[in-house]
Amino acid sequence: MSKNDTTAEANAPEPTPSTTSANAPVIDGAKLVRERRLTNAKKNWSLFRSDIPAMVGAIVLVFFVLIAIFAPLIAPASMLDVTKQLDVPRYAPPSLAHPLGTDDLGRELWVRILWGARVSILVGVAATVMSMVIGTVMGLAAGHFSGLFGAIVMRIIDFFIVLPSLLLAIVLSSVLERGVFTIVIAIGLTSWASTARIVRSQTLSVESRLYIERARILGAGHRHILFKHMLPAVMPLVLANTTLTVGSAIIAESTLSFLGLGDTSKESWGTILKNSMDISAATSGYWWYVLTPGIAILLVVLAFTMVGRAFEAIINPALRSR
Amino acid sequence: MTTPTHDLPTPAGGPESGGSGISGGPSRDMDEPPKGASFVSYLLRKLGGALTSMILVIVLGFFAFRMLPGDPVLKIAKERPMSPAQIAELRSQYGLDKPVIVQFWDYLVGIFTGDFGESYVYRKPVAALIGEYLGPTLLLTAAAAVIAIGLGLWLGQLSAWRRNSLFDKIASSTSLVFWSVPTFWLGLILLMIFGGTLQWLPTGGMITPGLDPWSFAGIVDIIKHLILPVITMVAVVYAQFLMVMRASLIEEMSEDYLTTARAKGLTEDEVRKKHAVPNALLPTVTVVFMHIGGLIAGAVTVEAVFSWPGLGKLTFEAISGPDLPLLQGTFVVFSAIIIVMNLAADIVYRFLDPRVRRA
Amino acid sequence: MTDLSFDKVSITYRSASARGDVTAVSDISLDLPTGATLGIAGESGSGKSTLIMSVLRLLPKSAQIDGQVSLGGKDIRDLSFGQIRAVRWAQASIVFQGALHSLNPVREVGGQIVEALEHHAKGTWTTPAKRRDRMFELLEEVDLDPSKAVAYPHELSGGQKQRIMIAMALACEPDIIIADEPTTALDVIVQKQILVGLAKLVAERGISLLMISHDLAVLSAVCENLAIMRYGRLVEYGPSDQVCLSPQEDYTKQLAGAFPQIGDAESRMNPRTLKPAEVRRAEPFTMTDEVVLEAKNLNVSFDTRQGRERAVRDVDLALHKAEILAVVGQSGSGKTTLARSLLGLQEVDSGSQMEFAGKALPKKAKALRTFRRQVQMILQDPSGSLNPKRSVYEAVVEGLRVQKITDNEYARVIGALEAAELTPAADYLESIPQELSGGQRQRVVIAGALALDPQVLIADEPVASLDASVRGEILSLFLALKKNLGMSALIITHDLGLAWNIADTVAVMKKGEIVEYGDVDTVLANPQHAYTQELLAAVPRLGSQSLVKHA
Repeated sequence: MSKNDTTAEANAPEPTPSTTSANAPVIDGAKLVRERRLTNAKKNWSLFRSDIPAMVGAIVLVFFVLIAIFAPLIAPASMLDVTKQLDVPRYAPPSLAHPLGTDDLGRELWVRILWGARVSILVGVAATVMSMVIGTVMGLAAGHFSGLFGAIVMRIIDFFIVLPSLLLAIVLSSVLERGVFTIVIAIGLTSWASTARIVRSQTLSVESRLYIERARILGAGHRHILFKHMLPAVMPLVLANTTLTVGSAIIAESTLSFLGLGDTSKESWGTILKNSMDISAATSGYWWYVLTPGIAILLVVLAFTMVGRAFEAIINPALRSR
Repeated sequence: MTTPTHDLPTPAGGPESGGSGISGGPSRDMDEPPKGASFVSYLLRKLGGALTSMILVIVLGFFAFRMLPGDPVLKIAKERPMSPAQIAELRSQYGLDKPVIVQFWDYLVGIFTGDFGESYVYRKPVAALIGEYLGPTLLLTAAAAVIAIGLGLWLGQLSAWRRNSLFDKIASSTSLVFWSVPTFWLGLILLMIFGGTLQWLPTGGMITPGLDPWSFAGIVDIIKHLILPVITMVAVVYAQFLMVMRASLIEEMSEDYLTTARAKGLTEDEVRKKHAVPNALLPTVTVVFMHIGGLIAGAVTVEAVFSWPGLGKLTFEAISGPDLPLLQGTFVVFSAIIIVMNLAADIVYRFLDPRVRRA
Repeated sequence: MTDLSFDKVSITYRSASARGDVTAVSDISLDLPTGATLGIAGESGSGKSTLIMSVLRLLPKSAQIDGQVSLGGKDIRDLSFGQIRAVRWAQASIVFQGALHSLNPVREVGGQIVEALEHHAKGTWTTPAKRRDRMFELLEEVDLDPSKAVAYPHELSGGQKQRIMIAMALACEPDIIIADEPTTALDVIVQKQILVGLAKLVAERGISLLMISHDLAVLSAVCENLAIMRYGRLVEYGPSDQVCLSPQEDYTKQLAGAFPQIGDAESRMNPRTLKPAEVRRAEPFTMTDEVVLEAKNLNVSFDTRQGRERAVRDVDLALHKAEILAVVGQSGSGKTTLARSLLGLQEVDSGSQMEFAGKALPKKAKALRTFRRQVQMILQDPSGSLNPKRSVYEAVVEGLRVQKITDNEYARVIGALEAAELTPAADYLESIPQELSGGQRQRVVIAGALALDPQVLIADEPVASLDASVRGEILSLFLALKKNLGMSALIITHDLGLAWNIADTVAVMKKGEIVEYGDVDTVLANPQHAYTQELLAAVPRLGSQSLVKHA
């Protein structure tokens, strides 16, 4: 960016009559920016570390991510094969031999939880990424562009805010092929509205700042304003929102699976709960069958929420005292 | 959509845009107070918004069930054995052999005449089924909404006022935990404890068969059946309301007009009840109304868990069918309820907040 | 009656954070005997607000008061909460900045006045009917229509809200009224009306008045005695004429100098400051006849709900090389719209002609961008004009990058910063806006404009949001830019004093029209239009309680 092409521009008028030497070191400011970012990151990390619930949450998340990654090593897929569990007692309550109990087909629940973590977390994260991208683009568009285009985008956002994402996700996943990908699409396509709303209001508030007007006066166009000012201003908010949304997406996945819209061939925490519902485990006394997958969901969602709130507090110091 | 630079704002982007901080339009003379828009234009705008949403729902209801990959009839056929003749019959029954435009027209006419087609599972008109199941859902969601809003707002304002007290910490963390569980799982747990182990409350349905719902015993019986599903719905939703109210009041607590109120000699309680809470309620109300849709949608899983004979259970059965005409019907009706609720909320809000008149 | 005294008062905010305790007020002794008027002047952070809030014990719990604040001879710290509540408003009331958020936005203003009466009935306003009557009586006293009682704050103008605040303060017949920046954010003419009204009501009733403001001229126009505060300490105290007209301390001199006496030859083309900008040219540029930027028959209209509103009407304006032109008007006069039009930021009505260096202003986006190199604008609030996340270097270089000027980037940035007198420039490059003072920020904004080497600067209220002591520095910078670089400037302001300080010519705008336009010396010495005369009369003069005595 800072080409110092002195030969071609040698006769160019000095920008000011001051006596600055033309041989001044060429600095593009990038190094200064990097240094500032590093100190900021350090400061934020120390803030995060002092937030005990967030640290606990982070540890819980690391634990679940690890067991999800290493599930095939810890418990080979054969442990889920019903035909190989014929000698295992069915409905065995938790004991030393069966730490989390067994299900109606004699499978160990802890193995199912392990394998379920893979799909549940994957779906949660993938759907969230999709939702964030759509939400950010729509929010920026609605906030930045005035006139007809902005109004239409706003109407679409409004529609998705008013209509609950669960309802739309049910419709989408019931007409598409069953599968993990469908669930990701169904959740991702329907849960972006709240992100869009947050991004839009942030965009509007940044849009009214004088430094945007100043950029226009300097001659900047939409692209410069959107990418150099708006995106950096909304990104931290979007990232904090991402961690919070992963939790909701995991819950949404379990709800869709529970309603029978999931991929029955793949283990997920929602599928386990669906199986338990199918055999009326709740009213038949098989409490472990209902409890364990739910607690897994609760822990992971809570962990994401804690981490997300800590991010939010770092971004918005006004929230810190709350 | 990054079109090349055009710096001239559109003429309409002047006074109404509110975008640019320095006067995009004429900033008003200091001693000429701003004038507000009339109630009629506000109403028309909101009505227009609701209407657009409704049209989108109707269009979506049609195209989602017909245009997305996966022929619905083939999908049904895949899950149950059917002969090609049966499939063809099904096609003509759903009107799938006609051109799309004609199908869409039929569908529109159907909706406006209350004809949603026939349920595949129940072999009954969808409209009749929905009519039958609508009442219980309204009862359940209304009861849950009233309790959740009351509880959430009340606990939220107490939490905010006593920020960082033990009460606040307990209230906030409980609500976080409830917020982090799937609704249906909480229902299953309650079912397990109160219906299964303790046998205190009925585990499903709305009324014990044989009882007259309008007799005293019948009403008591319905209330007993209501308790568990209502608790389930409230527990998951009130937490959001609590957190919104809390945040909103905390924001309000640093406002200058509270200093004015204190300087006038009001007690802290008066400052909170007469000044801070009414102001904090306004942004909260918007968010609460926005979540009403979520609460109503929560009925799908709760009714499934507790076999509550409402639209949610109908939806659940339509999914398991799969019974696409029924699913389409419940989707359109659910959406309509939510859109109407939101419209009502917007109108109520207009009366609550004098500042909206300015919008 | 009640008198108020501060005896060696220090106020410290205790804080658990790393910054430790913050002393907001230290060792202040002041007296306000019954029926007296005292003004406390200070810039932001001087501790003046903390001091007055201690009178009614309205400080947050973390504030610790040392020394004695006594009201009617009683130490306020000895009062129970119930007693202090009884004192609040009944004995001493506060006029807050009504233009901001001191009124509850969702309650009718009349009800908010009645509320004070409910708490302090004093045996007089015992029934709702009596309180209602009292409320209407109060509205009449502050010249408000009784129909305003049912209005909500957002339906009132800034001046009307301020009147409501005054009515509320008078409600319970207090002995002392404390006015906290009662006219900030109001236009001069409205400011004058409010101050005259307040002073009159207070004088008639023998109420003591304690007024704080950042504006020395406002205080001296109303108060007998003046105290100057800085960094929590008392700098100077005395009768207001003495403090304003023959100040002893340097700081007071600087503050007083920030308010030019229009007509005072010494401050003409010479803004008073301790840090004047350097004039480097041996033969400084002076105003020429060469027209740089010209508007003919300029009209701008907007469609509003009330119909088409003409924000700028038939304006003819010419800016010459090395000329500083001040466009003066109140808010709503259309002066900002005019500035935006000259920059091509605002769509103008057909028939309007705007020319830069003899050529019509371009319409196409690309040509407009190139045009912006020649004409730059500086916005009102330097803090808002800088992206808080980007460093000084990034802020100044932004224009160069947008304009795709890539050669000598570093040298251009340094040069621009030095021209804006932010020296040594290299030391500031990595600073982010929050590390800079208000004046430094404004210099960065100016440097950002200068980096493009423009011929014309348009500045919108360039000093309105700066502390008085910085005002002179920035104004002298504009003067130096003209003298050193031959730059032309069009400065939008509400402040006639600014025109007197630096401008060659002045245009007075009212409701979109230029009502008077000419040489500064001529227009200000001998205003022809009634509106110019009114504006000039409303400017608070330093000292002599001008508004009270001559009102």
